[in-house]
Amino acid sequence: MFLGPDGWLGIDIGPVGAAVLYAALWLFVIHLSKHSEAAFPPDASLTERQAWVAVAFVTLITIHWLNFMAMLPSLGAAADQISNPASRRFAINFGMTIFAWIVVAGVIRSGNREAVEADERDLRIQHAAGRVGSGVMAVLIIGLISGLATQPEVFSPWLRPLSVANGLVGLLIVKTLTETVYTVVRFRRGYA
Amino acid sequence: MSELTVRNEIRRLRQEKSTMTQAELARICGVTRQTIIALEAEKYSPSLELAFRLARALGCNLEEVFRFEEK
Repeated sequence: MFLGPDGWLGIDIGPVGAAVLYAALWLFVIHLSKHSEAAFPPDASLTERQAWVAVAFVTLITIHWLNFMAMLPSLGAAADQISNPASRRFAINFGMTIFAWIVVAGVIRSGNREAVEADERDLRIQHAAGRVGSGVMAVLIIGLISGLATQPEVFSPWLRPLSVANGLVGLLIVKTLTETVYTVVRFRRGYA
Repeated sequence: MSELTVRNEIRRLRQEKSTMTQAELARICGVTRQTIIALEAEKYSPSLELAFRLARALGCNLEEVFRFEEK
């Protein structure tokens, strides 16, 4: 399936598990389109609803990416090829997640056509989230530089060109996750 | 230097002078109802432009709606 091995106790949880997960995801999308009011905190604005959806999907993407990075060292020389079993799986999972995110965001937007989208408080929170995300990314880069300089043996399984490239993609994912989590926290704190 | 904060009378003025709902005030000012909730809870300080729009919507001077005082 998404997170585990392809087989477990003789049961194929690879493609079959993924199909079950995708079906569950689409059922969730249909359910959300019918009951979007109940899916979010009361009084949540359109921007806050979109932020909650972003947290869910970016978390899913982060899990895909962590799973993918954990697989890379075991691939050996195959990790240097753009198309390997792990990258294909990651690309499919990533693409499906982005597609589902676009659909869910569209469903929520269509249910709130009258909503104000350029609210100054929403924009201020989003700008603050961008600054926090950039700060976290800077700290991670500095940590990575320090780690590579002082403990290169820890990073050696990933010191291949494509693994480094995928690691840099991870920095962007973590930045986005930080921004979305910060955004929903700021929105919630505003009503306390 | 003492710490200063922006306080407001939006909730009182909205209820006393105009009996406007939060949603109506939000629509007039072009913001979300959530921003009005945050303003009334004094969890958010508005921009100067929004402060003038709020005062105009409530039929008051800026000084009647907002005051700058020590925490």
